[in-house]
Amino acid sequence: MNSWLRRSLLRFVSFFRHVPLDQDLDAEMASHLDLSIEENLKLGLTPAEARRQALLHLGGLEQTKEIVRDTRSIRFLGTLLQDIRFGFRLLRKNPGFASVAVLALALGIGANTAIYSIVYATLLAPMPYPQPKQLVMVWSKVQGNRNVVAAGDYLDWKRENNAFQALGAWSEESLNLGTASRPERVQAAMVTPGFSSMMGDPLFLGRDFLPEEGEVGKDHVAILTYRLWMDRFGGDPTIVGRTVPMNGEPYTIVGVNNPGVSDRGRDKLSVPLAFKPEQINHDFHWLYVMGRLKPGVTIAEANADMDAVTRHIAEVYPKSDKGWGASVEPLKNDFLGRDIIRALWLLLGAVGFVLLIACANVANVLLARATTRRKEVAVRASLGASRGQVFRQFLAESLVLASIGGIAGIALAWVLLKVIIATMPPFTLPYEADVRLNAPVLLFTLAATALAGLLFGCAPAWQSSRLNLNDVLKEGGQSTLGAGRHGLRRTLVVAEFALALSLLTGGGIALHSLWNVEHVDLGFRTDHLLTFFLPVPAGQLTDPEQVNAFYRQLLDRIAALPGVSAASASTGMPLLGTNFGMPFQIAGKTNDDPSKRPVAGFTMVTPEFFQTFGIRMDQGRSLTDQDLAGGLPVAVVNETFVKRYFAGVDPLRQRIIVEQLTPGVTKLGPPVEWQIVGVYQDVRNGGPKGQGFPEIDVPFWQSPWPAAGIALRSSVDPATLSKSISDIVLSMNPDLPLAEVKTMDQIRDESMAGDRFAALLFGGFAGMALLLAALGIYGVMSFAVAQRTHEIGMRMALGAGQGRVLALILREGMILALLGLVLGLGGAYLVGRAMHSLFYDVGVIDFTAFSAVAAILLASALLACYVPALRAANVDPMIALRYE
Amino acid sequence: MADPKLDLLQGTLDLMVLQTLAALGPLHGYGIARRIEQVSGNELLLNQGTIYASLVRLQQRGWISGEWGTSDNNRKAKFYSITKRGRKQLTEDAAYWQRLSMVMNRVLMMPGEEDKP
Repeated sequence: MNSWLRRSLLRFVSFFRHVPLDQDLDAEMASHLDLSIEENLKLGLTPAEARRQALLHLGGLEQTKEIVRDTRSIRFLGTLLQDIRFGFRLLRKNPGFASVAVLALALGIGANTAIYSIVYATLLAPMPYPQPKQLVMVWSKVQGNRNVVAAGDYLDWKRENNAFQALGAWSEESLNLGTASRPERVQAAMVTPGFSSMMGDPLFLGRDFLPEEGEVGKDHVAILTYRLWMDRFGGDPTIVGRTVPMNGEPYTIVGVNNPGVSDRGRDKLSVPLAFKPEQINHDFHWLYVMGRLKPGVTIAEANADMDAVTRHIAEVYPKSDKGWGASVEPLKNDFLGRDIIRALWLLLGAVGFVLLIACANVANVLLARATTRRKEVAVRASLGASRGQVFRQFLAESLVLASIGGIAGIALAWVLLKVIIATMPPFTLPYEADVRLNAPVLLFTLAATALAGLLFGCAPAWQSSRLNLNDVLKEGGQSTLGAGRHGLRRTLVVAEFALALSLLTGGGIALHSLWNVEHVDLGFRTDHLLTFFLPVPAGQLTDPEQVNAFYRQLLDRIAALPGVSAASASTGMPLLGTNFGMPFQIAGKTNDDPSKRPVAGFTMVTPEFFQTFGIRMDQGRSLTDQDLAGGLPVAVVNETFVKRYFAGVDPLRQRIIVEQLTPGVTKLGPPVEWQIVGVYQDVRNGGPKGQGFPEIDVPFWQSPWPAAGIALRSSVDPATLSKSISDIVLSMNPDLPLAEVKTMDQIRDESMAGDRFAALLFGGFAGMALLLAALGIYGVMSFAVAQRTHEIGMRMALGAGQGRVLALILREGMILALLGLVLGLGGAYLVGRAMHSLFYDVGVIDFTAFSAVAAILLASALLACYVPALRAANVDPMIALRYE
Repeated sequence: MADPKLDLLQGTLDLMVLQTLAALGPLHGYGIARRIEQVSGNELLLNQGTIYASLVRLQQRGWISGEWGTSDNNRKAKFYSITKRGRKQLTEDAAYWQRLSMVMNRVLMMPGEEDKP
C-alpha cells in the first residue's frame, strides 16, 4: 500500500478509534511506569520516591498521553473534536441552560426553515419543466390592463406570430362526472391539443390530445390528473381507453397526468378545447393563452412581435380589436399576486428577526456563563493556552449548541410547515410550488445554523480570550463584577427589545388589519343565508324561456319550504364576485373607440335578490316582478357607479348601453339600453376588502343565464335546509349536481382566511419574538441579581428597605426595555412602511397597533424583571454578606 | 555539576529508536528508552515520554510493529520490532546521517584565521 495513504488511513482510523487506542495507551504507560519503578526500587529508593522519579523521568503521565494523542490524530481535527467534546460535557453539566438555549435556537431556526421552504418553492426554485424560461403567458391588453383572450384573437396570434414554438389556450369549466348513482361536479380544464408537449411535461399514462381531437365532434376524450385517477378510479392501470359519462355523454380516457403540479391545481381533469364556429369571434374574451418561445427569443422580442401581430389584427377587425394589444409575461409567478410575493419576503424578514433575537438571547446567556467561567479561563491561560485556543474552545462550544438547535429546528420546521400548509387558504401558492424540506432548504438551514453559532459564539469567545489574567486571579474567590462588564449584555438586551418591537409592530398591523376586515360593513346581512350554485353545463338550458321557467319553478319551490322567507337567483354573489365585467357606455355620451369604454361589474338578479341579502336602496326603486322579458330593460347601479359616472346628474334619468349576453353562446349580442331605476348601497362583492367597484344589476328575467347561484333567507339554521333543497333540485333535474352549498357566514369566514392566515403568521412570529425578548431580559436581570447579592445585602444592612431594592432592580430592567423601545421606533416605522399597503385600513404608523404592542412589550418586560427583583428584595442581608 | 545534557535534534530520536530495535531485537518502550540513555552515556536529556510519540510515528509509517507480550520478569509490556521496510529506511537514514556528520565535522574543523601558518 502506498505509505502516504496508509498513514492517512491509520490516522483516520485512530481518529474514530479513540477509545480503544486510549485504553491501549493507558496500559502501555502503566507497564512503563511499573518497569521504571522496579528499577528505581532496585537502586534502593523508597516506593514513593521510586514512583516520583519514574514519573519525572517519563516527563509526566498526562503530558505523555497528550503528546502521543497529538501525534496520532490529525492535529487540527483532533483538537477540534476535543473542544467539541468539552462543549458537550459542559452542556450536559448545565441542562437548564442548554435546554433554554436550544429551545430559543430551535424556534429561530425552525421558523426560518419553514418560511424559507415556502419562499424557495414559490419564488426561487425553477419551474419543474424543461427550459422553463421559454414558457410565457400571453394576455390581451386593453387600456394598459391585461385581459383574457378572445378565441378569434388567439387563432390569429397563433397563425401570425414569429416568436413562439407553440401557443396553447385553455379555459375552465365544470363538468358533471357521472357515476352509478349521482353526478359529481368536477372542475376541468379545456385545453388545446399539444399542451403537454408544449409544457414538456410528459404524461404518466397514455397520450396527449391529438390535433384532430380539437375539433367539435371528435372532442369526447379526457386526460385525468393523477390524483383523480387514484381517488376515483383506484389507480386502475387499464384506465386508458375506458369510457366515462360526463355531462351525460361518453368520454374516452386517453391519458393520466404525472403526479405533482397538476394535482395541486383546481382542475381535476382536462378535455380538448374545440371551438364551435360561433365561438371564433373577437369580442368575447374568455381564454388563457400560454406559449413556448422559440430558442433565443427574449420576452422583449416576443412583445415586439406580438405588437406587430395585434396591430395587424386591429386593422382587419377595427370594431372589436381597435385599442387591443398583447402582453407577453414570464409564466413563473404570473398568477401570483405581487402582494403575496411581498408578504413572503416580509415573512422571511420576520423570521430572520426572530433568529436574530434568539441569537442575542443565547449570546447573552453564554456571556453570563463566560463571566462565571473567568477563573477557569484564567487558569487555562496561565497553563499556557493561547488566546486563539481559548477563542476556539468557546466558539466550538457555541457551534455544538447551534448544531443541536439546528437539528431541533428542523424537527420544529417540519411540524410548523404542516401547520402552515394546513391553515393556508387553498390555492394561495402557484401549482408549481412544491413545498418541502429538500436539499436546498436544508442547506439554507445549515447556513443559518452556522451563522447563528458564529453570531452568538463570537461575543463570549472574544470577551473570554482577551481576559486579563492578573485581574481575574487577583479577584480571589469573588466573582463580583463592576457594572461596566455587563455593558455588552445590556446592549444585547436593548437590541432584542428594539427588534422585538419591530416584529411586534408587524404582528400588530396584521392583527389590526384582521380586526378591521372582520368589522367591515359588507353592505348586506350574512346571517341566516344559505347559498349554492347550479353549474348548468354548457349545451343545456340554452333557450332563454326555458332558463326562466326552470329558475322560476325552482325559486317558487324553495320559497315554499317552511322557514324560508325569501329566495333569489343571481349570476354573482356578494363576497364571491360579480362574475361578469362588462364594458358600457352612457346613452348620449357614446364613444368612437369601443376599447376605451369603462367596465363595470354586471350581475343578473331576480327581484328578490335585494330583500334576500338585505341590501339597502339609496334612491329610486328596487327591481320588481313587473320587470319582465319584453318589458322596458331596467337596471339598478351601486353608489360607486353613481359617484364615478353620474356626478351632478340625476342617475334615475340615465340609460346605460351594454351588449347583450346570450345564454349558451360565447358571443356578445346587440347593444341594449338599460334605464336606471334605482341606486343601492355598495356591497362588498369582491370580498370584504373589495370596495369602490362600479356595478350594474339587471333583472335576471330580462337577461337570463343558464348557470346561477341561489340564495335563501331563513328563520331557522340555514344549514338544516340543505337536504330539502338538494331533493328539490334532484326532482327537477337528476343530472344536475349542487355545488358549494354553504351558509353566507361560512363564505364570509372563508373570505377572510387569507387575512387570518397572515395575522396568524405575523402574529405568531411576533409572539415568538416577545417570548424570546422577555426571556432575555429575565436572564440578564436574574444574573445581575445573583451577581450582586453581596451588594444588595450590604444595601439592606445599611437600611435600604425591600421596596427600595425592588424598585432598584425594576428600574434597571425597565430602563433597558425602554431604551430598546425607543431604538425600536425606527424599525417599527420601517416595518409599518413595508407592510401597511398589504393590509387593510392600517396606517404607516398604525397608532392602534403600535400602542398595543408597546404596552404588551413593556408589560412583559415588567413581569420578566419582577421575578428577579422580588428575589433581590427577599435577600437575607446576613446570608448575602457571607456570600462569597 | 557536569556539563548540561544535550537536547535532541529534531528527527534524530526516530533514527535512534530504529537503530536500537535493529541492534537488539524486540523491546518495550521503557527498554528502548533506557538503552538509548545508556548508549549515550547519559549525555542525552531524554523525556522518556517522547519515545512513545516516536513509536507512534514509526508505526504509522510502517517501519516498526508493536505487540503485547511478557517481559523477562513476567510483566506485560508492548514489544516493538523493526519491520523489513524499517530496516531499509534505517540503512538510508543512517547513511544520510553519517554523511551529514562528516560534513559537519569538516566544517567545524575548518582552521580559523589565526591558525593559518
